[in-house]
Amino acid sequence: MSRARLVERWLPGTLAVAGVLAAWELLGRGGTLNPALLPAPSVVLATLVDVVRDDALAPPIARTLALMATGYLIACACGIALGVAMGRSEAVHALMEPLVELVRPIPKPALIPPLFLFLGIGLQTMLFIVVLAAFFPVLINTVQGVRGVDPVLLDTARTLRLSRRATVLRVVLPAALPMVATGMRVSLGLALTLVVVAEMLAGENGVGFLILDMQRAFQIQKMYAWLVVLALLGLLLNGAFEWAERRALPWRAHLS
Amino acid sequence: MKNFQLSAVRTTGTAPPPTHSTPDSPRADGIRLAHVARRFGSGDAELTALRDIELEVRAGEFLAILGPSGCGKSTLLQIVAGLLAPSAGEVLFRGRPVTEPPEGMVYLFQQYTKSLLPWRSVAGNVALAFEADRRLTRQQVHARASEYLGLVGLAGFEKHYPWQLSGGMQQRVAIARALAAEPRVLLLDEPFSAVDALTRVELQALVLELRRQRGLTVVLVTHDVDEAVFLADRIAILSKRPTVVEEIVETRIPHPRDAIETRELPRFLELRHTLMERLLGREPRP
Repeated sequence: MSRARLVERWLPGTLAVAGVLAAWELLGRGGTLNPALLPAPSVVLATLVDVVRDDALAPPIARTLALMATGYLIACACGIALGVAMGRSEAVHALMEPLVELVRPIPKPALIPPLFLFLGIGLQTMLFIVVLAAFFPVLINTVQGVRGVDPVLLDTARTLRLSRRATVLRVVLPAALPMVATGMRVSLGLALTLVVVAEMLAGENGVGFLILDMQRAFQIQKMYAWLVVLALLGLLLNGAFEWAERRALPWRAHLS
Repeated sequence: MKNFQLSAVRTTGTAPPPTHSTPDSPRADGIRLAHVARRFGSGDAELTALRDIELEVRAGEFLAILGPSGCGKSTLLQIVAGLLAPSAGEVLFRGRPVTEPPEGMVYLFQQYTKSLLPWRSVAGNVALAFEADRRLTRQQVHARASEYLGLVGLAGFEKHYPWQLSGGMQQRVAIARALAAEPRVLLLDEPFSAVDALTRVELQALVLELRRQRGLTVVLVTHDVDEAVFLADRIAILSKRPTVVEEIVETRIPHPRDAIETRELPRFLELRHTLMERLLGREPRP
């Protein structure tokens, strides 16, 4: 991209972010905002720097990410596996679809209280709810992706006498991958959301736990500092996903 | 590339003698269609695409199946390939009924853009035909893919992706992949209808040359009279729906065939004339 186009692309948005931050800062310093409820950005930033200096930043992030990644990967593996089965077999689809459609619309945080009864208030519930939330978008998109594979491609696999296994691995899955990736992207956001909610309700550590804990301890500046960490984490995960997606699906841009 | 195209337009050598092997010999590559019918839908919406197809494909011959649009030519070829089950009747290949795509037979699709895997390189696409063979190492797979790409004049394009190639080159990749499955019978479903006229001439010559080199039996489905007469040894003419085989014509045009000169032969012109009359439903000239 040329320099002029870069400026054109990024300048308005950057100005908007800077404008909001400046207004927030000015209102904070002018005394319009109650600093006990909403400290100015410079104060939040200073608090964040303190957290970093105390070496207190990495451990909660690591715990949150570990929990989220574990749940996310389990959800993706299960969602893709069942999605391929449902997409390839009418019988499996007829068997599973009503069940899926019954559980899928339930807002997943609502399931946390009953899960406490079965799995206790702790790690198992947190992991389970992340898996459950991230599972459905991957599943639904995989089913659609697999069902949408061009019949010519499937007939090509047949006339070349590929085995069922080779057909799935070499033709169906790669062809469905763009759709699967769309589901995985939605799931990534849901996994982060649910890990934060779960940590607030059942955690003893992690970023979600800390945000609630700081609010209860009236450490409002630290609460906002961790909120900023969470926002950056979301941004980073999304960026990493997009990067991986571009690398894994270079042909997508070239399909009409 | 340039040199190849020039040489490919004029096919060289002599045609293989049609190997009339005995029909009941299991090794013969002949195909027999017995009372093949195909209906789509049911009840009031039922449509009889193929009524009663009787046809024999001789081992080693180039048979063109010619018919108007919508007469079920592709349906017929898919049934021969084992990709589609007939509603009645059966297809015998090497004396055995075809119920799934049999070994030794490959179907080449008209829609090469849909038939190639966009996430695989050109070499990867060709390798799809044989990479399941565990006895081959990575290097052997690649070498073999290159070899087949060389056959269709695409040496050096191994690492390209299908979407980086022209339509004609993509269809060459599809041809290389079909050959890589080591078929004895090649089934061509209007394979040249989506490319420009000059590319079509080149691809026709390529198919004739590959068929000569490898002694293939070829069944071509087309609505293009010129193409059928130019390529085939025999032409089966299909009726309108519900479809039957109306007549089978021997072209009796000598090999090797030349993109320009063959089309000027009296026999070529005469055959094209009468077949066009039939397809357009005109009275034959006196």
